[in-house]
Amino acid sequence: MSQNALETGTAEADVDTGSRQDSDVMVEVRNLRTYYEGDGLLGGTPVKAVDGVSFDIKRGETLGLVGESGCGKSTLGRTLIQLESATGGEIRFDGTDITTLSGADLKDWRRNAQMVFQDPDSSLNDRMTIGEIVREPLDVHSWKTPRERRQHVKELLDTVGLQREHYYRYPHQFSGGQRQRIGIARTLTLEPEFIVLDEPVSALDVSVQAEVINLLEDLQEEFGLTYLFIAHDLSVVRHICDRVAVMYLGNIMEIGPTEELFSNPANPYTHSLLSAIPEPDPTAHKDRITLQGTPPSPRFPPSGCPFSTRCPARIRPPEYQDLDNELWHQLDTLREVLRERDRTEKSVTDRIRELLGKEPHFGTIDEIYAELFDDQVVPPAVEEVLDDAAELARGGNEQAALDLLGAEFGSVCEGHAPDGADEANDADAEEPVEPDYHVVSPSGRRSLCHRHDSDADYRKPEHVLDDRHR
Amino acid sequence: MSMNEFDDTTLRDRIAANPRPALLWLVGAFVLIALELGRIADGVLRLGGAIGLMVDMVVTIPSSVRGAVASSFGAGAGIAAFVITAFILLGIVAIVVKWLFIPWSLVDRLGIDVSTGREDILERLLVTGLLVIVAAALVWTPVGGLFEMLISVLTRGVEAVGSLTTITSREVIPNQGYQLPDGSWEGTFLGLSPAWAWALRVLVVYAYALTWLAWLWKGYEIFREHYREADWTPRDDSINRLRTHYWGVFGFVVVFMFVVMALWAPAVSPVTAEANLYSPYGNEIQYYGDDGVQSITHGDANMNSRSQGGDENVGLMSYDDYDRFHPFGTNTDGKDLFTFLAYGAQVSLVIGLLATVLMAVVATVLALITAYYKGVADLLAIIASDSVIALPRLLLVLLLSVLFMQANHPIAEIYDGGLLLALIFAGTGWPLLWRSVRGPALQVSEQEWIDAAKSYGQSPAATMRKHMSPYIAGYMLIYASLSLGGVIIGVAALSYLGFGVQAPTPEWGRAVFEGKSYVSTSSWHVATLPGLLVVFLVTGFNALGDGIRDAIDPQSDSGDGSAAAATGGGG
Repeated sequence: MSQNALETGTAEADVDTGSRQDSDVMVEVRNLRTYYEGDGLLGGTPVKAVDGVSFDIKRGETLGLVGESGCGKSTLGRTLIQLESATGGEIRFDGTDITTLSGADLKDWRRNAQMVFQDPDSSLNDRMTIGEIVREPLDVHSWKTPRERRQHVKELLDTVGLQREHYYRYPHQFSGGQRQRIGIARTLTLEPEFIVLDEPVSALDVSVQAEVINLLEDLQEEFGLTYLFIAHDLSVVRHICDRVAVMYLGNIMEIGPTEELFSNPANPYTHSLLSAIPEPDPTAHKDRITLQGTPPSPRFPPSGCPFSTRCPARIRPPEYQDLDNELWHQLDTLREVLRERDRTEKSVTDRIRELLGKEPHFGTIDEIYAELFDDQVVPPAVEEVLDDAAELARGGNEQAALDLLGAEFGSVCEGHAPDGADEANDADAEEPVEPDYHVVSPSGRRSLCHRHDSDADYRKPEHVLDDRHR
Repeated sequence: MSMNEFDDTTLRDRIAANPRPALLWLVGAFVLIALELGRIADGVLRLGGAIGLMVDMVVTIPSSVRGAVASSFGAGAGIAAFVITAFILLGIVAIVVKWLFIPWSLVDRLGIDVSTGREDILERLLVTGLLVIVAAALVWTPVGGLFEMLISVLTRGVEAVGSLTTITSREVIPNQGYQLPDGSWEGTFLGLSPAWAWALRVLVVYAYALTWLAWLWKGYEIFREHYREADWTPRDDSINRLRTHYWGVFGFVVVFMFVVMALWAPAVSPVTAEANLYSPYGNEIQYYGDDGVQSITHGDANMNSRSQGGDENVGLMSYDDYDRFHPFGTNTDGKDLFTFLAYGAQVSLVIGLLATVLMAVVATVLALITAYYKGVADLLAIIASDSVIALPRLLLVLLLSVLFMQANHPIAEIYDGGLLLALIFAGTGWPLLWRSVRGPALQVSEQEWIDAAKSYGQSPAATMRKHMSPYIAGYMLIYASLSLGGVIIGVAALSYLGFGVQAPTPEWGRAVFEGKSYVSTSSWHVATLPGLLVVFLVTGFNALGDGIRDAIDPQSDSGDGSAAAATGGGG
């Protein structure tokens, strides 16, 4: 039952062969990884901004990419147009793997894929006229004669709803919405097929947002463009996108048709994300799922499922099945606190205090325990584990305490193989189990969660969430 | 569609469509040029001479390298070193030639298909190859002789133009003459006293310079009104802010007066440099003595006009025994101090500008490269600049100038050590300038328009030039104008210590040095006036820098003293 990363890869490849037969797939992304090197001279642990992502973008569609800030969605967009170079994996653009392009080939390919940037203040060079800004891509690619270039630019200004006379104006003289239109005109000059829209309206006034969104839709229709629409505004995504991918910590958690995903989410993360959309109707009943703790550092992602540290529907080991929800919540909080403590660099004074036998600055373990478990009924078996963990944490060994708690209360979500397997084969236990993508609807929607595994007898995420959070 | 036709015009089209204002302005400019044609030709000649000297020096580099290498590694290595050095030098020249004279791509013309990264390199190699052919032709074929002839003909032509009289020349408004017993003046302009004749000439010089300034401004306004397509640009605001920035305007006025004094040094000085500084015994003056009109060399006359305190003094605005007028008195040798200071301004300007421009170029290029590529390039530049900054600058400058002068290095002979000083100041000063613009450069490199440029395939060099350098240029102007003051102080300080510009080339610091023991006597002016001029000038440059900064970047705090403090390193 336990699968390592390699097998996961082949399983995905199998799924892909199915979609590759779709003739109108434009961009194929396979197991894409983009890591940022560490700050130190010798590298250090890289930040895994995009950590193994696979999906297709069909010709003419708008694929939405949502997720909280820092989840790697902008990096993914920048990698797709080769502003960042991929650490691994493939991006096949009409069959060519563009991660291998360089020099003149890359420059040539860049005509096909352009990007609209988030901040219209920062994306236009203030010292150039609008004409020079929009014309520059044409100059770079020596498109026709300078006279024709100027004509083309003026027509484009017309197309995006500006005036031809604006050619000789400077960016200062325009409002945010107009500047974004200029940015859009610039991306259109080379007549690309694929455009990455990196939060194109999030810096604009709400009233202007709608205009720009409509412009983008009109242009898509007129020029047959394919969009990757990166956003954190879910209502905009729902309006404009044909399909949506939900990202968390460098991974795509769920990807599928927009309406279906919004109305009937499969992945626990999608559930929690959607529950954050404010409801305009004050009388409507709505349960917000509040996630515990903060997102883990992409430098040290958790083993197993990336969402395991905060998942509201995490699989619990069968032997503790009948523990109270409240107690589970406290146990999760304890692990979060320990993780936080482990991550915090200890200062010199903390170390000295430790040496002198004093407790470090951030509360003692006993204080934390008192706060978490004093008004809980803790069964003896759990109590025993907690005492052992406290002993380890008191000795300053948070990692050991976490390992102990993980072994006892962790499950397949955190990479522990289901019962029996870990004792039987120690070597196998070293390799954390990772979740697979499961097709969760006839439309081919995929979700990254153990709970969809039809071979194992897990309850569906929505039922678990109902139980635990409503 | 008629709108489009109107829209799509080049500057030339627009001038052709409405030539009147441009022609009027050009006529005015030609009149102004004609008035001073002789002096301009003179300047061109001197500039050409300096460039020729530089070229001669550069040309000897490969041979000297061959000599040095051959003596230690044998003749074969020597020839190899000669070829390598020559090729590197021609490669550097090729970059400049390509940048200045070849706007199209040779690689494209020849239809060679290579990847973008290699295209630039190949292009440079092609230009270098062409230059090698040209150089070989000049050295080994009769073309070289032809070329030399052409140059000499050109030189003679310019010389002929240079001998034309100009409105500010000494011949048009002479101030050298002698007073007859009846009180009237012989030989001066319209019989005015030498003081008035000199004042008139200075007035004409400044009036002429001011007219040019006004005419250039007028030209800018004409361009703005009639020919510029944009009705507003960000620079308009900067210029308006500078015009109302009084401290900056003061700085501009001081700097303008200084620059005019330096450029027209031969016109504003009461005596020629030749007679005053270089060969006082080779030039004679006439004066009315006991035996009527007599002749005496300047050198002999100077013996009686020395300012050494006590009775031996020719002070401000006074005549000496030979009817020579000295606006700033004389120095300790009896030479005219104003002439010394005017030509000294030239020296200061040349050294200051040369050092600052070199520094600014190095700092800008480095800032662009380190900000664009970051990482290792940045680290290396930091290590290099910190190593230079860590050395005490004045001591290093002293050490280097003494070293080169004692060794009689050919560089130390140009401009009596002036070029050497400029190079030394540039070599020790670039880290400060680079540090000053590194921040702005890094800031610009984070802008999304840099990413945008990358996303449509703009080359790194073009990105740096178009999208980054305009944002650094403003800061560079500010810090360069501030460090110019530092260099001038530094050169004056070195000359004061006796290590800077050597006699007879005039330098303000040396005047202070010579006059320092007479400050408490009646000859106080010898040291005090040049000292005050240095203070004025450096203050002026700092004020101008402040003004430019406030004009370009209105958000920045004008009360910030750190930039001014940084220039203290120069002196």
